Amino acid sequence: MTEPKRVFEKYYAELLKSIRNPDVALGLSRSVSANRQKRAAVMQRFPDTVELSREVRRIKEEAIARLEDLVATARKNLEENGARVYYADTGTAALKIIGRIVGSGKVVISGKTLTGEELGLRQHLEGLGNEFWETDVAQFIQQLRNEKPMHYVFPSLHVTREEVARLLTKLLGREIPPDITGEVRTIREFLRGKYFKADIGISGGNVLAADTGSIIMIENEGNIRMVSNVPPIHIVIVGIEKIVPTLPDAFKVAQVIWRYAGFTAPLYLSVVSGPSGTADIENTLVQGSSGPLELHVILLDNGRSRLAKDPVLREALYCIKCGSCLFECPIFQMAAGYYGGQAYFGGVGSVLTAYMGSPQEAAPMAYTCLRCGLCTTICPLELDTSRLIAELRHRFAVMVKS
Amino acid sequence: MNDKLYLPPALRLISENILKHGNPLGLSSKDIAAWSRGLKLPGRGKTILYTGGEYQMTSRIQSLVEVLKRVKFEDNALAAFRGLQSVTGRLGVGLMKTFTQVAGADNETYNRILRMAAQVLKRLGVDFAYIEGELYSGALLYEYGFFEDFSLHTERVTAQLKEAGVEKIIALTPHSAEIFREIYPHFVPHFDIEVSPYVITLAGALKYSGRELSLPQPLVLTLQDPCHLARTLKVTREPREVLAAVGNLEMRETPCHGEATVCCGAPCEIIYPELSEIVAAKRAEELAATGAEAVVTLCPFCYSNLSRGMRMTGKAMKIVDFIEIVHQALGVEND
Repeated sequence: MTEPKRVFEKYYAELLKSIRNPDVALGLSRSVSANRQKRAAVMQRFPDTVELSREVRRIKEEAIARLEDLVATARKNLEENGARVYYADTGTAALKIIGRIVGSGKVVISGKTLTGEELGLRQHLEGLGNEFWETDVAQFIQQLRNEKPMHYVFPSLHVTREEVARLLTKLLGREIPPDITGEVRTIREFLRGKYFKADIGISGGNVLAADTGSIIMIENEGNIRMVSNVPPIHIVIVGIEKIVPTLPDAFKVAQVIWRYAGFTAPLYLSVVSGPSGTADIENTLVQGSSGPLELHVILLDNGRSRLAKDPVLREALYCIKCGSCLFECPIFQMAAGYYGGQAYFGGVGSVLTAYMGSPQEAAPMAYTCLRCGLCTTICPLELDTSRLIAELRHRFAVMVKS
Repeated sequence: MNDKLYLPPALRLISENILKHGNPLGLSSKDIAAWSRGLKLPGRGKTILYTGGEYQMTSRIQSLVEVLKRVKFEDNALAAFRGLQSVTGRLGVGLMKTFTQVAGADNETYNRILRMAAQVLKRLGVDFAYIEGELYSGALLYEYGFFEDFSLHTERVTAQLKEAGVEKIIALTPHSAEIFREIYPHFVPHFDIEVSPYVITLAGALKYSGRELSLPQPLVLTLQDPCHLARTLKVTREPREVLAAVGNLEMRETPCHGEATVCCGAPCEIIYPELSEIVAAKRAEELAATGAEAVVTLCPFCYSNLSRGMRMTGKAMKIVDFIEIVHQALGVEND
């Protein structure tokens, strides 16, 4: 039996196991209906979201078509702002760069980052002898479960409060009751103990504006502010498909992300363009004020520029990861992130996984998609998943034939 | 790493059958045309009723899925794939022939619906021909990504249609309507055959005929919109208008209907049969929650997969085809 076949079998076995797990079903059904209601309320309050989404589609189309040019502009502007910028062709290259910056024996805290998941960042940095903590509550839970995230915005949507209590009890060696508020307080207490000890903070970015070199980070928990502000070194890993031409464009994209994720506004919105600095003494700029002394930005390619050149499949790079489609997908509704690869989920995620992971990892996902088209009707950018999946399967058919 | 990509063998089995036999399951043209015997339909004409062999293959797909599940035994996915490969490798296309008899009874159900489809059109004064030995549209070749094979197949299908003098297809199933209307033009240069989904032709002819529709007994139905019909072809209004005009018939909608309809799970049944059943059962639950007596479908794959899903839920709710309802409501005598 060849290795790729085993990947297929393992995927299907885990998919079925997850679907048949009553905890997963319960957690998911709560999340699905909550998201549906929240999104409907936001849309009602901000009916302009429909037009805004159309504009975001145009912005993304332009950005992916001009990707090389935007990467160069973003890089130049970030460097002018005092950031150190690296272009990582592959995941391995990115891990090497980050490994060099971090070194070993450090305390590393991380905000929710999909690119980090794509790279296997935690495993890599722990392997180098660092203490690594996820600070997003859901990601923290997933870290304790030693499991990949199950959704872009809600990584632990399938985990019940009882399971969280069990995990925290095990971590802390004292009884934590299954009370949600109490659990969140416990996690808060634990993480606040880590923030001020951390040497390095790592985050992703939701959007990157090329013209100003500004990274936008959307959050509700306040953890990303800690990660990006408290430690002396802040590393941002951002996929190059997140770059858009201008800062106003970036805000439009960000707005559509949070609205489709079901929020009228994020509780926190951060814009980071460089390391902290001050020119308050004789108007002379000194880098490193109250915030980080250093900002390192990893522009991650890892298959993206190749995907951007594909006349059909490039559409997958328009995905802004709001995750609203996943809540309505008939398969995802039951299987959560098990209908996914290392970092990306569902139909569009199959295309991303084929390029940023491997065709072997993506193939079982690609044949799971029903091509029912429901996600397209939910997607703010109306990504044509049915067409993408047929095209991706075509690429696979050609590979197998040759 | 590309040369080590693995794809389930069922994909190859189906695509090879389409190329070799003109349909996914290697059915003979006699099998496919069996339903039309005695109806005296002309073999060529400007307008044809196109079945694509989809109703005919439905009962056999059911048997294939049962085979797939039996060889894998219980829910051991590992054994499943190994089993499938050895069975398909050993029996190849003959696999389906082995189970034709098993599927016999089901098969008659589908042939009956096909006859009704033709009788309804005739009763409404629609002129149409039927090409005995009609080729399958190739929808699954496209769906599974075998574009080169699909392209070859579309040439054969187009040649057959042209030869029969076809200018308009009344496409009985959503998949064939979609593939001819949306995909063929990208693969076949100057594909100029008009495509009308069956329900559209039917709704138009009904309106024109001014006929009254009524069921002999009161019936409460809920409608399963097929994904490809509702979302790709945007046909959601016409089936409802037809059903609303039927006396003694009450309709109840699921929360997710029309363009927001939820898939029956059929598309993944060959590759992931258990998953397909679970999706079907979940949708069946939603349909059953309407409190209707039966679900009416407009697609043979929805019909068969929801029947299976409903059995899994243990509910007695029936699945009926839209054609059966209209046939009865028009008072067309049974053959």
